[in-house]
Amino acid sequence: MSSITGFLSRAWVRWAITAVVAVALLVVPLLFSEYTNQNLARIGVFAVAVLGLNVVMGYTGQVSLGQIFFVGVGAYVTGYGATHDWNIVVVFLASVLVPGVIGLVVALAAARLGGLAIAMVTIALPIIGVPLAKRLSDFTGGSQGLSSAFSNAPDWTGLYNDQWQLYLVIVIGGATYLLTRNLVRGKYGRAFAIVKSNEAVAASMGISPYRYKVLAFTVASLIGGVSGFLYMAVIQFTSPETMTFSHSITLLASMVIGGAASIIGSLLGGAYYVLVPQWSNDINPNLTELLQGALLLLTLFLLPGGLVTLPREIARRLRRSRPDGGPERRQTPSAEPAPGREAVEETPTVGGIPTQRPTERQEQA
Amino acid sequence: MNRKKNLRLTGAVALISAVAVTLAGCGGRDDSSGGARGGSAGITDSTVTLGITTPLSGPTAGPGTCTVAGIKAYFGAANAKGGVKFGDGKTRKVEIKALDDAYDPQKAKSNYDQLKGKVFAMTAGLGTPTNRAYREAAISDEVPQVLVMTGDPIFSDKGESPMQLGFVPTYINEGEAFGKLLAASGKEHSVAVLSQNDDYGQGYVEGFKKGIEGASNVKIVKELTYEATDTSVDAQITQLAGTKADVMFNAMSITPLAIASLQKAQQLNWKPSWFLPSNTSSPKAILEPGKATAFPGVYSVSFAKAPQSPAFAGDEDVKTFLSDLKQYGDYSDVPAFPHCMWSYMTGATLDQVFQKMTKPTREDFMKELRTVSAFSAPLMLEGTSVDTTVDGQPAVSTVQVQKYNGTGYATVQSFG
Repeated sequence: MSSITGFLSRAWVRWAITAVVAVALLVVPLLFSEYTNQNLARIGVFAVAVLGLNVVMGYTGQVSLGQIFFVGVGAYVTGYGATHDWNIVVVFLASVLVPGVIGLVVALAAARLGGLAIAMVTIALPIIGVPLAKRLSDFTGGSQGLSSAFSNAPDWTGLYNDQWQLYLVIVIGGATYLLTRNLVRGKYGRAFAIVKSNEAVAASMGISPYRYKVLAFTVASLIGGVSGFLYMAVIQFTSPETMTFSHSITLLASMVIGGAASIIGSLLGGAYYVLVPQWSNDINPNLTELLQGALLLLTLFLLPGGLVTLPREIARRLRRSRPDGGPERRQTPSAEPAPGREAVEETPTVGGIPTQRPTERQEQA
Repeated sequence: MNRKKNLRLTGAVALISAVAVTLAGCGGRDDSSGGARGGSAGITDSTVTLGITTPLSGPTAGPGTCTVAGIKAYFGAANAKGGVKFGDGKTRKVEIKALDDAYDPQKAKSNYDQLKGKVFAMTAGLGTPTNRAYREAAISDEVPQVLVMTGDPIFSDKGESPMQLGFVPTYINEGEAFGKLLAASGKEHSVAVLSQNDDYGQGYVEGFKKGIEGASNVKIVKELTYEATDTSVDAQITQLAGTKADVMFNAMSITPLAIASLQKAQQLNWKPSWFLPSNTSSPKAILEPGKATAFPGVYSVSFAKAPQSPAFAGDEDVKTFLSDLKQYGDYSDVPAFPHCMWSYMTGATLDQVFQKMTKPTREDFMKELRTVSAFSAPLMLEGTSVDTTVDGQPAVSTVQVQKYNGTGYATVQSFG
């Protein structure tokens, strides 16, 4: 076991894994069936939405129940732009910036409030969003919705539509993931973590909780916009029902199930969002809600840290059944919290004030 | 620490691979999904499979469940008798694959993607946004999306929707039927209009105006709208009551608002004849709580026999329908939603089309689909019929105006 991990920690192996994953992502759309590609693309769409939610909730600890609103706005802006033959780059930028600006404005007001008050403000977003989408029928197509096939494969590619759409999701979604990963692993991520764990401490260290909350919220809505663009690219249709409040709750559940404050967890959350309704449909289409509820409870009981902790849970059980698990493994805490979260708990403290994240300390050393 | 991090990364990669492999289980790119020789997907020499995506959970689950139960009841009974005899001489059993979309367009599209390679045609699904979500995909994939339960006229426009056909009358059809009845009454009428400010309300009003076109005895004295999300229409009712109109045309799809409108008008002692759309005219759910007997007449439109109505208690169609629904549709109660009857008729209409098909292909199906006319499906009211030959009209475009008689509805030939 330890020889495997030792092997995996070598730099060239890590590069090799990255390369294999990258190549796999490039080749996958060409190999799979149409339905699989469409499913993967859908997972990508909602994985990005969950990622945005993770920035504000998982990393910064602010409850947001309005993420689906930003996805919806992004989708509507994309649909509007595409049906009016805007340049696709302009469409993309608008679909990201419009939700971003709305998110910023909302956050400027909402972040002044603490805790549950933010949740209340964000609940209002999808609740306002649905009637707004119905009333602004000149822009949104009203309750009949808006459809646009702007993302069909161009002729020069020789690809099927589903392959082209999956490439769009991989490239745009992948870039969003990399950018977000860098954001939450860097100085901003550390600031988010401190704001999450203790706002007073953050303020005493010169980190304005207000500014970082606004930042996290804005980033989440920007990412929501990206997800909205991809939604329109993959589903090619949006209507007021897209923004239904219950979808926001499902996104939240997906985030928790995937793993809060985890990049990979966001991806798993997206998979949960898309695949579980399909599985429950396969089992019994009349009991979908019940089955989804049961699965949600089951996951939270067995894996409170989310699906992302599954490998570690398995490793932990294996270790327990083998008492001679190697000396260095004993040092790790038996029940590890979700990634990202451990930063604060394991951080060396000076009089209760966290100084540095252990990972960074080691990397800088 | 690094080591732990890598273990985590490896674990995650392993998980993702597992998901990918599960997905890949669906197999490679292969479009011939086990169809009959020379035939389309979803049809063999002994079976034909139909796909449905409809809300089976969430707020619209009631009517949605009915859209599956009705067609299952019809084809369940047909299968029990051996199957449906197709025009190519083969007898096929009809299988139904129904999936839940919870009224979410995204899930409807996902269900369609899942079904399109396995089913011969999509049918009977309820909902405008959910049907619209895969309309364009169905056109480009050439998958029939027919006899769907939406009053949206786009589905019945051959130019816009070559692979589609709506089943139920459009909102325009319903409004027009009432307008015509009013115009033919020969008496002077002043009409107050309150409509929902969306395609639904606009469709009804458009149809109503078409119905009274050129009739000098009917005058619209005031037109107001409300939003589907409004919680009260008291202000509008008060304004309309001021006109003292003798007819109220109320194109409203929200149950509590419809009840509140009836009540508010009574409080104001304004008692016009009242028109309500088919989906908000339920005697039990709306008219009784709204004390509708206070009005000289409450009118609505329908094309299906209502099993609850005493008028049809002994009707043969209704008896067969209820026993089929119980036995094959997994639906043991007397249906509270007309969608059960509609989807039963959808089954009967598809049966007609199947009997005409000489080739087991989607192409031939679409061709024959457009040739059914003057077909009186089981449960249809006298004077209504299925006619798929008129471009721009759904399969059923004729409705009968009915008047509330204190317990249920009865068809009326003239206003008053």
